Amino acid sequence: MKRSMSKLFTAAAAALALAAAGCSSGSPTPSDDGKDAADGYDPKAQVTLTWWTGQTADAQTLAETLAKEYQTAHPNVTLNVSTGAPTTDDLLTKLSAGFTSGNYPDISYAYGSWATELAGSGHTQNLSKFVADPAMAWSEIPAAARATATVDGKIIGVPALVDNLALIYNKKVFDDAGVAYPTDDWSWDDFRTAAKKLTAPSKNIYGTAYSVSGSEDTTWHLWPLLWQRGGKILDDKGKPAFNSDAGVGALDFLRAMAVDDKSMYLDQTDEKYGPLFYSGNVAMMLSGPWVLYDLKDQGVEYGVVNMPGFNGNHETVSGPDLWVLYNHNDPNRAGASRDFIRWLTSKEIDPRWNLANGNLPLRTSEKDTKEFADYISEYAPGAQKFFDNLANAKQPRPTVTGYVEMSRYVGEAIAKVLQGAASAKDALDEAARKSGPALGNG
Amino acid sequence: MANRRGVLARGLTGWAFAGPGTLLVVGLSIFPAVWAFLISRTRWNGIAPPRQLGWANYQVMADDPELWESVRHTFALTALFVPSSILIGLIVAIALSQDIRFIKFYRTCIFVPFVASAAATGILASYVFNPQFGSANELLRRVGFPAQQFLEDPQQVLVVICLIALWGQIGFTAVVYLAALQDAPKDLIEAATVDGANRFRVFWHVTVPELRPVTVFMVVWQTITALQLFDLVYTTTRGGPLNSSQTIVYYVFELAFQTRRYGYGSAVAYGLFALTMVLTIGMILYSRRARVEAF
Repeated sequence: MKRSMSKLFTAAAAALALAAAGCSSGSPTPSDDGKDAADGYDPKAQVTLTWWTGQTADAQTLAETLAKEYQTAHPNVTLNVSTGAPTTDDLLTKLSAGFTSGNYPDISYAYGSWATELAGSGHTQNLSKFVADPAMAWSEIPAAARATATVDGKIIGVPALVDNLALIYNKKVFDDAGVAYPTDDWSWDDFRTAAKKLTAPSKNIYGTAYSVSGSEDTTWHLWPLLWQRGGKILDDKGKPAFNSDAGVGALDFLRAMAVDDKSMYLDQTDEKYGPLFYSGNVAMMLSGPWVLYDLKDQGVEYGVVNMPGFNGNHETVSGPDLWVLYNHNDPNRAGASRDFIRWLTSKEIDPRWNLANGNLPLRTSEKDTKEFADYISEYAPGAQKFFDNLANAKQPRPTVTGYVEMSRYVGEAIAKVLQGAASAKDALDEAARKSGPALGNG
Repeated sequence: MANRRGVLARGLTGWAFAGPGTLLVVGLSIFPAVWAFLISRTRWNGIAPPRQLGWANYQVMADDPELWESVRHTFALTALFVPSSILIGLIVAIALSQDIRFIKFYRTCIFVPFVASAAATGILASYVFNPQFGSANELLRRVGFPAQQFLEDPQQVLVVICLIALWGQIGFTAVVYLAALQDAPKDLIEAATVDGANRFRVFWHVTVPELRPVTVFMVVWQTITALQLFDLVYTTTRGGPLNSSQTIVYYVFELAFQTRRYGYGSAVAYGLFALTMVLTIGMILYSRRARVEAF
């Protein structure tokens, strides 16, 4: 009896191993035969689409309302709306599980930094033909956001949200310290001098803050400084170039503020510096339009100006999010999901979505709408400045395989340098060396 | 014939009881474990098709300085946490076995932190130990000590995390010891007392030997708890500052879910599994040889 039991067990284990092997190889990947996924789309066909919004609370309710409205106008389309995952960050894990089981949505929200990985799944649509349609008015969407949706020449989605980084300052802290407010023409040296003056250890006040969690939040705050000094993240061959003199100089400048001046609050978590800014413990932060809601909610007296610049260059960085469209080898589903996204991102509907959620408008053509005027006055003075600052976001973050991993190594390098544990040169060189295999150039 | 049918029926009855549990274990533990093993032999970002690497991930582990750093942190944490949780647990249990008023209230107080989730404990503790705005520094200031960096100082962070873990875990060790203390045979204690042993000698020669199996069990259990520490690190420091609180499990999490290196992450997870297995088997063999009936 005992022996036969152990045989049974071995057989069961072998069966499990086989089943698991089947899982990790995933569902068959639709090969890219150059055919458009929506070729032969019949706009009248009955279709059911799954939409993962990546939103929570009020934004999710609004998404459901808009979906209902679209279905009323298109009775042949059924939209299954869900958040997809408890937080937007969890969506990528959920999507990867979805690809493995063959159960992925038609449309999902995605951070721009995920674009290459999602394209690598082989399950995304190529929207090149679709966005060339004049009805899409593709060029109205900021160039950096369009570039983020483009992976190896293929367009895998439509920008869902655009943003940028600017300098936000707490007026009360400046007034108390008797320091003049920042201006659009500030150099980084002006920023450093002011931060030093504003720092008051006895009152727990820091001039500025920087995240040292090593996440993308740590990394992308460095890119504008790199670009302003004429540096690049990757060279033309796709090899790391952020450890150039421009990159080392940029990081060493931040190091001097954090280590020499001690005018920079180093946040280990990403999550503390925002609230510390609201409470007046941090005088200036480099952040984006997503804090406008909290600034209003907390009643903070604040102002927003351009990123400080090197040599008069005030270039900033943009972190667009996307609606990614997936291919289910069904032209009707592909076509219907495109039609819905065109509707959602149109200049008629987007004000009711992005502006209502406190985000910047997706299209320049929205600036004459009533919703935009309401948005500007509701989130004054920040909204107008962030909208204008879109023009300063000139370069996209690279959409290459391995960006996520590289970003992690750069983030760790920045964290080390700002905490005085390494020199800017050594840390960035090491990050470049570690990123090699991920970027496919060992 | 009838006999054979009886055996079959008995077997079926047995499986009817064991079946649901077995299915759960197979489906939720063994199946993912086998799958993770297959993943550990690939380079996979969770999305694009995996690339087979054979044993390469396991070879990389040998000279990955970050992994050995996290092993060192995990061992340091275990060396701090296991003896102190057992010792303090025992002392608390002895205190709680005294015959005093409101004893049930005190017992509840000690146990409550164990019931609170480690995530909640971590979030609470990160406020208390915040170097700029936390109450721990406020307390130090009032009694005249200099302010500390706590979770933001690479030298202190493991000790502080150990303190937070102890706060949550003392309740568990204390309750187990309390039960064991109450099991100590009363007649032996009375006999020893009648023979003229003082309270310390009764404790040392009668009670302590009774506690040995429980102690071996607790060492294994608390070691596993310490080796697998994750939630406290996640909610307090995310492995920082400068990776100085990165434990093995946190490193696995970061590999798999932050840098999306599922293959290498799974390989490291298997390394941890092997380590835990060796330690546990070692303890079982020790307890068998020493004739402590812990398992």
